[in-house]
Amino acid sequence: MSLAVVEGGCYYHHETIHAERFRGRFDRAFYAPDLAEGDLDDFTAVMVADRISPTVLRAKRRLFLHYLNQGGTLIVLGENQAHTWLPGVEWTFKPTNFWWWLDKGTDPGHRIPNPDHDVFRYLPQRAVVWHFHGLLHPPAGAVPLVTIAPEMGGGPDGTLLYDHPGVGGGKGRLIVTTLDPFYHNGSHFMPMATAFLAGLLDWTDATFRR
Amino acid sequence: MIDALLLDCEQTEGGVNLLMKSVDLGSRLDVVPLYELGDVDLGAYRGLLIGLHADQRYLLARKSQLETFLQGGGTIVFCGHVAYPFLDELAPYQAIPGYTVDDLEVARASDHPVWAGVDPRHLTWRRGVAGFYGRGANPPPAGARVINTLGRGRYPVDFEVAPGVGGRLLVHAGADLWSYTDAGNSAERMVPQLFDWIAKGEFAKGEIGR
Repeated sequence: MSLAVVEGGCYYHHETIHAERFRGRFDRAFYAPDLAEGDLDDFTAVMVADRISPTVLRAKRRLFLHYLNQGGTLIVLGENQAHTWLPGVEWTFKPTNFWWWLDKGTDPGHRIPNPDHDVFRYLPQRAVVWHFHGLLHPPAGAVPLVTIAPEMGGGPDGTLLYDHPGVGGGKGRLIVTTLDPFYHNGSHFMPMATAFLAGLLDWTDATFRR
Repeated sequence: MIDALLLDCEQTEGGVNLLMKSVDLGSRLDVVPLYELGDVDLGAYRGLLIGLHADQRYLLARKSQLETFLQGGGTIVFCGHVAYPFLDELAPYQAIPGYTVDDLEVARASDHPVWAGVDPRHLTWRRGVAGFYGRGANPPPAGARVINTLGRGRYPVDFEVAPGVGGRLLVHAGADLWSYTDAGNSAERMVPQLFDWIAKGEFAKGEIGR
């Protein structure tokens, strides 16, 4: 039972993986450009850090699909253009509003349609409420975990985080989000992004590293 | 000779797109994907712009190419936090421990053409929020000229140094300076002044020690 992380050599990947706060929460880190055949085989779950070069990720696409095909759990964070290389992922652009929180009392639109999902035993609901980068449109079989309400611009199915067991008709599980916590945590600039990652890693500790 | 080459990391929030499409500055700039750096003849450029999303493990692997460029009199501008020192004059970033708003106030330590006429308050504050400009420092080497500092601790957020191999190195411990293109205040001046400073190819006011 172990968790690997795939990172892209950016300062925020280095800071998040190696600095004291989250040190030891990943059993192994792989530098995406060097990811090789068989590297992911022994891990129960693999987290792909946000903001890795999408070109590099697409070049390694076969390795990730092979991992899913074996029944692995892949957790893919934001700004990785996951819709260009992962099964079932659809995404539309939405201008990012970094300033929503300046208007006190504003509802940014986040909703938790499945609060009984296991991840919310560890991830505080308030830790998902920050700016986001576009909307995902979960396919049939996926469980939406964080959505944007239609009246707040989310459309019929705009989603920030979902869980897709049996993705692509196989044994694999794909969890995907548009949130980019490695970047913000590793830049020392957005406490809520750090809280999100802390909750997510509490869940991965409990679920994949027992 | 072209004024600058910018290494594109396929990420949002880097200012690349704004700069590419600017008629005056965009016409003084080439943009190539980061991972194609190895195939580029840097001799065609006066300056090399490296932003916060760069894969620094890759840059470290290209160290000798970067040093050759400096040796030929080139100028490197790096924005971001140093995680993998890819030049001898770079050292790992240090965040201001437990910073508060008072620690984030930008102050001018010495005049520099890139910052001429730029009001430090326009760097400190954005929509009433402090911290965008920087929250720490890439520790400068001996002989560097510190340009701007943060807070009472005078953390050196910007410095220029004459690298041992030759050329010029300008370092900003924050988001890409070229993302201020549409700042709407005096901070905008940094972008054209950066290009002019690169084109001029001389040290700012007086000599910088080696």
